Amino acid sequence: MKTLTQLAGFLAATSALTAPAFAETAPEKAAVISAYADIAEATYGDSLQAAKALQAAVAKLVAEPSAEALEAAKAAWLAARVPYQQSEVFRFGNPIVDDWEGKVNAWPLDEGLIDYVDASYGGATDENAAAALNVVANPTFKLGGTDVDATTITPALLEETLQEADGVEANVATGYHAIEFLLWGQDLNGHEAGSGKRSWTDYAKGEVCTNGNCDRRGAYLHAATDLLVSDLEWMTAQWADDGKAREAVSGDEIAGLSAMLTGMGSLSYGEQAGERMRLGLMLNDPEEEHDCFSDNTHNSHYYDGLGVQNVYLGEYVRIDGTVVSGPSLADLVAAKDTALDAQMKGKLSNTMLALGRIKTAAEAGFAYDQMLEQGNEAGEALVMGGVNGLIDQTLTIERIVTELGLNSIAFEGSDSLDNPDAVFE
Amino acid sequence: MKKLCTFFIALMLPVSASADRALVDRVISNHVIPRFQTLAQTTAQLAETAAQTCDLSNGQVVSDYHAAFDAWIGVSHLRFGPTETEDRAFALAFWPDPRSKTPKALRTMITEEDPVIQLPENYAEASISVRGFYAMEYILFDEPTQALGHPEYQCALFQAMTQDTAALSQAILDDWQPDYAALMLAAGQNERYQTEKEAVQELFKASLTGFQFTKDTRIGRPLGSFDNPRSKRAEARRSGRSLRNMVLATEASLDLARELGQGEDAIQSRYDELEHYFTTAVAKLESPVFAGVSDPQSRVKVEIVQQAVDRLLEYTLGGLGPYLGVAEGFNALDGD
Repeated sequence: MKTLTQLAGFLAATSALTAPAFAETAPEKAAVISAYADIAEATYGDSLQAAKALQAAVAKLVAEPSAEALEAAKAAWLAARVPYQQSEVFRFGNPIVDDWEGKVNAWPLDEGLIDYVDASYGGATDENAAAALNVVANPTFKLGGTDVDATTITPALLEETLQEADGVEANVATGYHAIEFLLWGQDLNGHEAGSGKRSWTDYAKGEVCTNGNCDRRGAYLHAATDLLVSDLEWMTAQWADDGKAREAVSGDEIAGLSAMLTGMGSLSYGEQAGERMRLGLMLNDPEEEHDCFSDNTHNSHYYDGLGVQNVYLGEYVRIDGTVVSGPSLADLVAAKDTALDAQMKGKLSNTMLALGRIKTAAEAGFAYDQMLEQGNEAGEALVMGGVNGLIDQTLTIERIVTELGLNSIAFEGSDSLDNPDAVFE
Repeated sequence: MKKLCTFFIALMLPVSASADRALVDRVISNHVIPRFQTLAQTTAQLAETAAQTCDLSNGQVVSDYHAAFDAWIGVSHLRFGPTETEDRAFALAFWPDPRSKTPKALRTMITEEDPVIQLPENYAEASISVRGFYAMEYILFDEPTQALGHPEYQCALFQAMTQDTAALSQAILDDWQPDYAALMLAAGQNERYQTEKEAVQELFKASLTGFQFTKDTRIGRPLGSFDNPRSKRAEARRSGRSLRNMVLATEASLDLARELGQGEDAIQSRYDELEHYFTTAVAKLESPVFAGVSDPQSRVKVEIVQQAVDRLLEYTLGGLGPYLGVAEGFNALDGD
């Protein structure tokens, strides 16, 4: 494939509009990739540490239920989202992360699988027979024709039996959003401000218990949190010195740089701008909020965007305030074409400003649900500001892919190219 | 085999910068504009017919609907520029709908007799789930939806839908000519397309994304997995259009790919082979709505069609892309 790679490099070079300005000395590509892996390791390490704090808060809530303990667990969940959302940029482009991600951050979910829901939620649907299964209330049940014994709620039950049960992606039994639902409950405010209103008494012991099965609800929350911690332990290890995710990007410089830019572009455009932001706006549907139970969507979007910027600038602010940084993609691009680097930095800043506006307005009381409401022009303008920024920065990420000669990646391993007769086999 | 492949590519010199503008011009004139003209004409015709009758089982209504839907599928891969302004394409075609938003929203709208349908400008503000071809399909073909509310409201709703669809289609065409066409032809002199290659890449990506959506979504969703086939997820199954949409979409992406590779015999003959493989595979399918996915015998036939689309995708990526000197880039399907 070497010839192809060279050819692609040639194509990229000849297609440049202007002669690149060689302003700075380029860093070693291997050093850029190494700094990227360090940032990934730190981001997942912080996510793990924050998840352990959540685990401790949940243990306290279940052992000694109180209004204060529930609030403490919610605060721990919100804090845990800050580093985790910044890790989403590592998803696309790193198969090890993408294959694992569904266990910790799958969304949207049919929450009736897990616990009681309001009558307006409805029951089973065309798409999901288990949409209103309610595992908390039912120690035994049938799932896809099989009898399930859920008398004891364990991480294994959640992970192996309930997660994506019956092949339906909306059956999210594990991860941040399952925990979020168990802490906040359904957000029944529609387009009004406000999160879910679950009472601490849903975890209370004895007669104080509301909505039944408080012990099983507590067991579920416990199991889901334990699972989150073990999943994050695993992922942090993948980015350690001898970890498989680090190894995958370090072996081949072209593949490593490509993974970095693929993560930035795919998260910016298809995932965040499209699936998470624009779709909800076009549907005018508060259920399309990413962190809908907790009303934390403005932060979810903000920290996703920040993760993209982290990868380009090669720096990450840890949850203890220290900074992990190293040679960056920005340095690499600036050495080839300072104007392109300036364009990228400008667009990333624009996006962060736009996402910051959403966050600012939400924190001041203009909830993300309200922004999605039909005819709410101010809300639409705020959300579309973020969407447009993300789409615009993706165009520049594409230009960088071309500038760095990474185009060849796309057609490596293409069947019909490697083997013109393959189609008639 | 790798040596042969290197040789094969080396023979085809990449399209030069001076030729890029001519290429974009040709593709816009031969492929883009005529297809959006057809969409504008057929949707206007549908709105006109719908305005004249409240008999929604009327043969003319149904055939006009099919003609307009065909025209949409014929441009559904051209998702950039004018189709993305003001969410037009999303409003014309909200699908897939994994959480069944369309039937839920229609139920509420019809039973509550939402007055949003009274003014076209209000209807244009409604959720995309109640607009466009997939929402119209429920009104025309879904019995539970037809049984809701009053026939008068259903008729007025359908009229609002057809007018909205026609207006969106006309707006897309109006944006294309002359403005957006001019923008692409001035590639290298504007912010949006900073080099001539970027305009070529935009068209190339459209073809590629079309193949990918057809493979993963139009075919992939009903296929599901072997243990869990999902025939109910087939696109537009209520109107019996699943297979028809898949074929028209593939042909549209292929037509664009051929336009982009025009004049290059090696590319054209390769597309001839791949098209033959595709049409041969399609001819063996029995159900117009992929109902066979649950039966191992007929399921494999659907899988072969999916492979045929995949081969078109792979060759476009690996054969046409290097010839044009452009790469895959990012598209809206990159998320999950």
